[in-house]
Amino acid sequence: MTDPHTTPVIAIRNLQRTYRKGGAETAVLRGVTADVGRGEFLAITGASGSGKSTLMNILGLLDQPDAGTYLLDGVDVSRADDDARSTLRSRHIGFVFQQFHLMERATALENVMLPLLYATDEHTDGDARARAALETVGLAHRLTHRPGELSGGEQQRVAIARALINDPSLLLADEPTGNLDERSGAEVMELLRSLQAAGRTIVLVTHDPTLAARADRAMVMRDGRLDARELAGAE
Amino acid sequence: MSRTLRLARDVGASLRANRARSLLMMAGVAVAVAVLSTVIMIGQGTRARILDTVQKHGLDMMMVRAGGDVQVFAPRADRGLASLLEEDARAIRSTVPNIALVSAVQNQRGITVVAGERSVLTRAFGVESDWIEIRRWGMADGEFLSAEDQAAMARVVMLGARVARELFPAGGAVGNTIRVNGDPYVVKGVFIEMGASAGGDDWDDRIVVPFTTSSRRLFGRPYLEQVVVRVRDARRMDETADAVRGLLRVRHGIASGAPDDFFVREPEDVEGAALETSTTLTSLLIGIAIVALVAGGVVIMNLMLLSVAQRTHEIGLRRAIGARRGDITLQFVLESLGIALGGGVLGIGIGAAVAAGIAALDVAAVDVTWIPFAAALIACTALGLLFGIPPARRAAALDPATSLGERRL
Repeated sequence: MTDPHTTPVIAIRNLQRTYRKGGAETAVLRGVTADVGRGEFLAITGASGSGKSTLMNILGLLDQPDAGTYLLDGVDVSRADDDARSTLRSRHIGFVFQQFHLMERATALENVMLPLLYATDEHTDGDARARAALETVGLAHRLTHRPGELSGGEQQRVAIARALINDPSLLLADEPTGNLDERSGAEVMELLRSLQAAGRTIVLVTHDPTLAARADRAMVMRDGRLDARELAGAE
Repeated sequence: MSRTLRLARDVGASLRANRARSLLMMAGVAVAVAVLSTVIMIGQGTRARILDTVQKHGLDMMMVRAGGDVQVFAPRADRGLASLLEEDARAIRSTVPNIALVSAVQNQRGITVVAGERSVLTRAFGVESDWIEIRRWGMADGEFLSAEDQAAMARVVMLGARVARELFPAGGAVGNTIRVNGDPYVVKGVFIEMGASAGGDDWDDRIVVPFTTSSRRLFGRPYLEQVVVRVRDARRMDETADAVRGLLRVRHGIASGAPDDFFVREPEDVEGAALETSTTLTSLLIGIAIVALVAGGVVIMNLMLLSVAQRTHEIGLRRAIGARRGDITLQFVLESLGIALGGGVLGIGIGAAVAAGIAALDVAAVDVTWIPFAAALIACTALGLLFGIPPARRAAALDPATSLGERRL
């Protein structure tokens, strides 16, 4: 039996991923092993092409490893089929993207409620939950604004509220400040830290070492391997 | 609320948000459906009108006209117009099988009818008492001539609706004595309003007297313009007509190879052909409209494929937040279904408006029924499903990781 308090949210062992394009094979992940504990804030850095995006996609169940195991909340999900991964994403994972990926036609509230469309459980309190999520990210006064009427920082905060609506065990942030100015970026990082303080588990993927330094722990992807070296200054 | 219903609402919101694009995609189908439903309604209307006319004539009626297929400008006697006699009518009745009723018919234009101060110039018909049953006319007032009137060469007259109206504007024509070419006749009946024939004759502008009266008194001539015949079995119309033809050729002593000096007209010859023409034309137009409808479907499919390419990120996002492949398929099929049905409803609206306009202007017969609307909706549903599936499958097949990452710099 696994104890929910001690079981890592993420436990990956020897993940391998190879892309085949026209006969040529490129090994992108060559045996990646790591644990992310509950309530932890992990940053993964690396140069572009190092495989950090591939790792991110596998962690987010958008892609599958060719070999190795991935335990999410103690459950092996490395061989889950497409539908099962969709359901797992819906229940366990909240995504924050560099481009926000908000629906232009929808208000902040409607954008935040979008994941409920695909939830397997019925939600009769969707509206209230979306309001609460927007309040958490400090946008209680922007409920009916559309993305075009919001600043970049506000748009990213809407996206974070959307990631929170299904109460996921894992928040995956992929360069969340990449499209933001310095001040908005700092605010978003502040928000992520406060979410962690409230008990969220967060994995941040970034090429920016200074951003990575603000996480509890940073790991570096290099040549398809995750270097478990901890950055100086982390706990 | 079920997941499908939630998705349908989301698709509705998406179609409304992209109104311009949605309307553009609907346009092709809308035009095709409008044409289709209008054509069907006109086709049905025309068909109904023709069948109505056929009914009025009676499918079981044939007409033997004096004069064969000869020069119209030849002298009257040469055209054979003096060839058809009362005895011919009698012979048809007594010797040709499948004959129910026969009436000799004479008619002449330029008959003056006077009632008190009023007078009209009209056309007079001399007919036998079975004529009204053969032609299926009705009396608005009084009654039709009887066999006794016939035998007595009675000076009785039946008025067409228009003649009655002009001579007796206040009504009450029956029982009055009027003068027909100077002689006194008692009005025995007034016909109901009959309208015009397919050839444009005003059936209400006439008077009718007994055949004996017309041949011996009013016109004073034995030869007929027509013999009208009602057959027992309309399905045997052709062979009966042939029998009549053979009989008359013998009676008129026409050598073999020489042309008839009469003409047998079967109602199907005219009405059947008209019906067939309109059916052919309707089929052709329906065919064109169906091609247009399919083209509309192809337009939807191509714009949808384009839209899938443009919305790669949206699809990736939906996958990321938990949409299964099936949800994406459903979303795009519902979109194309919504567009096709929207186009269909739009087209039906336009078609109904056009049909109403045509009916109001009376340029063609229009039969407004639910059939073209139901057919259009069914066709649009099939269209939306059929042409929605390829784009939907392409959208669902997109790799979620790749579709999200495409724009990353």
